[in-house]
Amino acid sequence: MSSDYEYSDDENYFDDGDDMDTQEDAETFDEDEDDVMGVDFKTDDKGKRKAYELDYSSFSQSDVEDLMKKDIEYICGIFGVDSGFAALLLRHMAWNKERLVEKYMDNPDKLLVAAGVAAPETPIVPPNRLKSPTASQAGNTRRPTRTGSKLLGFGSKSSGASKSPTISPTISPTSSFSVQPKSPTSSEPFTCPICCDDVPSLKPVALDCGHAYCSNCWTDYISAKVNEEGDLIVRCMGEGCALIAPDSFVHSMLIPDPTAPIGDAEKEEANGNTWKRFQELLVRHFVSSNRDLKYCPYPGCTNTVSCPSAASKLSLTSVVPTVSCGARGIGGQMTQSQQAQGNLGLAGKEHKFCFGCPIDSDHRPVVCGVAKMWLKKCRDDSETANWIKSNTKECSNCQSTIEKNGGCNHMTCKKCKHEFCWVCMGPWSEHGTAWYSCNRYDEKGGIDARDSQSKSRASLERYLHYYNRWANHEQSAKLSLDLYAKTEKKMEDMQITSALTWIEVQFMKKAVEEVDKCRMTLKWTYAMAYYLASGNQKDLFEDNQRDLEKAVEDLSELLEQQIEPEMIPTLRQKVTDKTVYVQKRNEIVLDDTATGFIEGRWKWNVSVDGFDDPENTD
Amino acid sequence: MDARLRRVNKEIADCKNDKTSNIKIDLIDESPFHLKGSFPGPEGTPYQGGHFEVDIVIPESYPFQPVKMKFITKVYHPNISSASGAICLDILKDAWSPVLTLKSTLISLQSLLCSPEPNDPQDAEVAKHYTTSKNSFEETAAYWTHIYAGGPGRSSSAPLKGDGQDEIAIAGLDPAHVSGFEALGFPKGKVIDVLRRLNYRGANAAKITEDRVVQELLK
Repeated sequence: MSSDYEYSDDENYFDDGDDMDTQEDAETFDEDEDDVMGVDFKTDDKGKRKAYELDYSSFSQSDVEDLMKKDIEYICGIFGVDSGFAALLLRHMAWNKERLVEKYMDNPDKLLVAAGVAAPETPIVPPNRLKSPTASQAGNTRRPTRTGSKLLGFGSKSSGASKSPTISPTISPTSSFSVQPKSPTSSEPFTCPICCDDVPSLKPVALDCGHAYCSNCWTDYISAKVNEEGDLIVRCMGEGCALIAPDSFVHSMLIPDPTAPIGDAEKEEANGNTWKRFQELLVRHFVSSNRDLKYCPYPGCTNTVSCPSAASKLSLTSVVPTVSCGARGIGGQMTQSQQAQGNLGLAGKEHKFCFGCPIDSDHRPVVCGVAKMWLKKCRDDSETANWIKSNTKECSNCQSTIEKNGGCNHMTCKKCKHEFCWVCMGPWSEHGTAWYSCNRYDEKGGIDARDSQSKSRASLERYLHYYNRWANHEQSAKLSLDLYAKTEKKMEDMQITSALTWIEVQFMKKAVEEVDKCRMTLKWTYAMAYYLASGNQKDLFEDNQRDLEKAVEDLSELLEQQIEPEMIPTLRQKVTDKTVYVQKRNEIVLDDTATGFIEGRWKWNVSVDGFDDPENTD
Repeated sequence: MDARLRRVNKEIADCKNDKTSNIKIDLIDESPFHLKGSFPGPEGTPYQGGHFEVDIVIPESYPFQPVKMKFITKVYHPNISSASGAICLDILKDAWSPVLTLKSTLISLQSLLCSPEPNDPQDAEVAKHYTTSKNSFEETAAYWTHIYAGGPGRSSSAPLKGDGQDEIAIAGLDPAHVSGFEALGFPKGKVIDVLRRLNYRGANAAKITEDRVVQELLK
């Protein structure tokens, strides 16, 4: 069949079938490399979006920060508060502007206290000293765990509202924290109640609540919160104090004025990293609060993808929102093994993931709900099922699974007390006096029993059929790392042994990528086929699956071949043809399934979230 | 000097100087980061007269992370594990604040002994005992104080003689119940174990049928 697709003869044959680059066109990243080698594979791009593709855009961390800034400015404009406060309020309300405005209009004081912006009580307690007995404090807060610190001291806010100057946000709109040159009570020099240091140069620093500690302790505290707990809510260190440090405060503690550097390069770098991490946490919080956004799950990647069309749960029954954040490879610090993998070609891999579910790879063509069900089933079942298949039989009466762990062939089912022969599965009564040796294979009872058993066994067989193929493609996809390495070597060899240039030998790389991509599709088609209700639709689906599988295996074989220098031109022709064909087949599978989802053509043999129940549709 | 060391040294010194609180902090070995705290059981509770010891480990990032504390002395209390001494207290977890000190935390432990929170238990069996029969719970707690924390015996508790009586009292059970099931031919240890698990005490004993107990005993 592949001859029908002689690509070089008739390029227009692939008219409506652009290669996967269309999808990438929607993204913003650099595709120079692909474009160069795309010369070989160029097909007409009509700019039409495929049924299996959807609109999404990718943001870098600073893009998301800009979005956050816009929201913060919006709130600043409405409430007339400082941007640090606005950020805390938004964070408290999970970035829901409408709800925030509503709540603020309702009871601003209450909201400010709950968001940790204002202190609930008036009296500014002088910093606790170690010397003063803290029995009373301890008595106040003693409380079993998990009741949460949020309860502390909140009860009194209504009484405190009238007398508290700190509650009104307009009192200190410009500076959300204060560096106090002297602690409120002291005629004596300041002693930090946390590190117990009393060097004269020590500067007490406090939030609006007035709980003053030295800046070193603040820095250490913030570092511990951010780095060890991954927490972006930095509450005042005072016991039971619910005030939250605004971002500007965190920044000033981590990154000091250039006029007064710490003078310790190592520490400065650590603090700089903490600040970076803090910013990342802020972005992550914003992204996780917004249904239209999702953070790239690849290690070290800080990009965010926006995909409003897949944000609702309902839409996940008709689309498979596979997105790519635009970055490639593994960012951040690579471990050695990652580096090794990177050398094998992983470094160039796109960050593809599903927008709708936590699966961090492309699970097209199957929808999230079904993919999740399948993965769960595989986790629970595959090994157990294999073992059951090889070690057990079912009782021919009640179908309980039985393992024979010794003794004779005269079995008595523990559950239903049915007596049968382990060898022929027929009822024991038919065996007459021929105990312990079963030569009655053809007895009617035995055949019936085996029949009913084979029925229940069939469902297991069926599952294993799909599972083994699924696992096989997964395994093959993993092996494609090796294939990458081998291919690279081959490409080098070709450049040396033949007159081909670098660009011309890229066909190998392209082919390997295509095989990898198609194996992913194939893998998931087996998950889909397992759950598809039988009928014409399923037959068509499996036909498409078979065609793709055959094409992929053929291409794989070509790639594994030994290369003879004189064969290279033919090989190149063959591989290029085959790659285009495989690409086409893959598109057909993806497109047909995706259209099917939109048309509601697929019926399942189990009930799937968001779809009609199988009973109603059959 | 390291801020953590300076702070811990100061805390230990403060505690030594303070004669009013009855809280003691001692070194266990050379390290100032592994300590032993101790305090008397609070007055007017079953823990009165006992001397309770707490194992204290100061983590690397102290005081920005909470200290790790657990009871060395065995305590019969809903929020303290009767087996390991682990403590369920908010300030040792998420409500920790860097201004809290070893002394204030130990005082908190002391006041935890005054007011148990059976609704948020560390030791579910003890908590069940507490909620079903407070009197019986207090007897058992006082008995534990007596044998593990060196407290005085309670006149109200059963007269003590022999190991067997001890086991029953430690489990907070009625000797009559235990000997009743023992008479059916079950070993004493097993009877105590099952009755304790079923919370076969006070009013609750009437709700549990004998059959149920025997069923458990036969398992």
